[in-house]
Amino acid sequence: MATKLKPVDIAIVGLGWAGGIVAKELAATGLKIVAFERGGPRATNPDFMAPQVHDELRYWRRHELIQNLRKETLTFRNDPSQLALPMRQLGSFLPGEGVGGAGTHWSGLHWRWTEWEHKMYSGTVAKHGKGIIPADMNLQDWPIDYHELETYYDKFEKVCGTSGKAGNLQGKKIDGGNIFEAPRASEFPNPPLTQSHGMVLFEKAARNLGYHPFPVPASNASRAYVNPDGVALGQCHYCGFCTAYGCEANAKASPHFTVIPLAQKNPNFEARTNSYVMKVNLDSRGKRAVSVTYLDAGGREFEQPADLVVLAAYVFGNVHLMLHSKIGKPYDYQRNTGVVGRNYAYQSMGGVAALFPKGTYLNPFMGAGALGTWIDDFNSDNPDFTKLGFIGGGGISTGNNGGAPISRRATAPGAPRWGAGWKKAVVETYHRFASVGNQGSVMSYRQNYLDLDPTYTDSFGRPMLRLTFDWQENEFKQMEYARGICGTIAKEMGAEQVLSRRERGRYSIVPYQTTHNTGGTVFGDDPRTSALNKYLQSWDVSNVFVVGSSAFPQNAGRNPTGPVGALAYRLADTLKERYLQRPERLVDV
Amino acid sequence: MALCALAVVSSVRAEGDASAGAKVFAQCSACHTVGAGAQNSVGPVLNGVVGRAAGKYPAYRYSSAMRKSAVTWDEATLGTYLRAPDKLVPGTKMAFPGIANDQDLANLIAYLKQQKAE
Repeated sequence: MATKLKPVDIAIVGLGWAGGIVAKELAATGLKIVAFERGGPRATNPDFMAPQVHDELRYWRRHELIQNLRKETLTFRNDPSQLALPMRQLGSFLPGEGVGGAGTHWSGLHWRWTEWEHKMYSGTVAKHGKGIIPADMNLQDWPIDYHELETYYDKFEKVCGTSGKAGNLQGKKIDGGNIFEAPRASEFPNPPLTQSHGMVLFEKAARNLGYHPFPVPASNASRAYVNPDGVALGQCHYCGFCTAYGCEANAKASPHFTVIPLAQKNPNFEARTNSYVMKVNLDSRGKRAVSVTYLDAGGREFEQPADLVVLAAYVFGNVHLMLHSKIGKPYDYQRNTGVVGRNYAYQSMGGVAALFPKGTYLNPFMGAGALGTWIDDFNSDNPDFTKLGFIGGGGISTGNNGGAPISRRATAPGAPRWGAGWKKAVVETYHRFASVGNQGSVMSYRQNYLDLDPTYTDSFGRPMLRLTFDWQENEFKQMEYARGICGTIAKEMGAEQVLSRRERGRYSIVPYQTTHNTGGTVFGDDPRTSALNKYLQSWDVSNVFVVGSSAFPQNAGRNPTGPVGALAYRLADTLKERYLQRPERLVDV
Repeated sequence: MALCALAVVSSVRAEGDASAGAKVFAQCSACHTVGAGAQNSVGPVLNGVVGRAAGKYPAYRYSSAMRKSAVTWDEATLGTYLRAPDKLVPGTKMAFPGIANDQDLANLIAYLKQQKAE
């Protein structure tokens, strides 16, 4: 039996970037706020201190900072004809757990999405007509455009101390930056990180081929920096332990030392850690959230009444809570109706591997999570969709992101697979092996979705979330096209051998690919195709808001954290300036 | 010419400009605090660091290397340490690439000298 607690004004579920930003911005209003985090508290000291944070076995292989699958996981299948089975080991994606969420272990690639990436449907139709959209593709616009988010993108970059070079400053194109980016009001707060040798080769090769290389916008601070909130970031020292690790220098922006401690300065804010939110409870008509039920570290059940609930968990957590709490109509694949669980999308990680001549020293052990050089010439809507036969694009890049000893063991083709010969081959290849990668967009389809699993329950007795996903023809075409470009660049860089595989297999949940899952609680203007209105408010339960990449209608060929942060800042303004003034539905149906 | 430059460097080194050092300290401030209300965070409080025995600030969990270092912080030891922390104290958990510029270093130490123990 749940112990009922004293009511609060706002309950926030999840304390990563999205929840942390909303918490920080709203805590200053004086409202009583409780944020629930399923994992434990985290601080740079002692949790991320050198040298123990550079423990590849603990963080990369054993996933110290990642979701505990023994408590909750999801089931997976490739298509609706299969029986979905529980994901019992981490693989394809790594949702964060603990204060700071995935913001503690992200790489720091910090993008603004382009104008087209917010308007994929209308942008595509305007240029190519409706005819090129496959029948099973649910191509949708964001209900807001880039320009409505610009100030929030800007704010988030400044909080994170993002290091980069503008390519479009107030409409003025600047060589050396990303000339394909949407116009930005101001330059990045910090200059780009120092290039690695591989990046220099890539930049030169891309220029020779007529492309437009630029440094990846990195929330790995290139110099000591104090953000507008007064939080100091240290300088990145290119240690090479970034993705999957916490940063001992506070150089990689993370909510655990930026926004969350600022929220905690307010006595009216409380972070309740090791607390699993089970469900959002609705009133008898199912129209209003009255409380959340959660379990504390000891497994005791509590009910926390709240006037407003903000879901800011990972994609799967947000969708699962919406479905399990019966907020919004669940998506029904058979009838193609309902909205919660609709438009799940992912991202493709392809490209080629390049082997450079002996005597090339790429120094893979030095690096930063977002240290890379990139081109957008084949990303966003820059490819000619009509001519190429696919919608979308991919970012093509190379980088130095770390070369830790367990996972970095590439060998040349034909090398022995084990024993002394293999070891020798690993050493011989270490310095001259790089990838020229494609990070491809993935569209949303009728047959790729999330719903509640009819067979399996999690350790708390709730039906698991079921993921149904497979690659589609449109994405295969993008991957193949980009692979060709990657090969050309690798050759131009001076690669001795270019290694690639034709990617036509089914999606596998086993190998790590990317933690860029999107969709399931999409925001939009039409309640028949979106779970949330343009203010990220549930169409059905007006005191529930949902923030995160679960709101994205489909995925772009770049990382999602930039728009997630921007949406969280915008949501905080929406709540302060609109909803809390008049707590009701902000858009009429 | 070279001699002349050396002379300039050593005189700067002897004196150091504390107000310029405050700017250099920005590189430290992600981990260390000074002044009234300073608290241990990623690194220990640096009030009174000049003249203090290494690894001794109350309530900060130092690496065993630092606790056992038997170093006392003065201009000379700080100068060596801040140039390359893990050379002077191998195993220190201060992950910092070091300050290469002599002038910056002298200024920083002058600034730290001003931070008196509470």
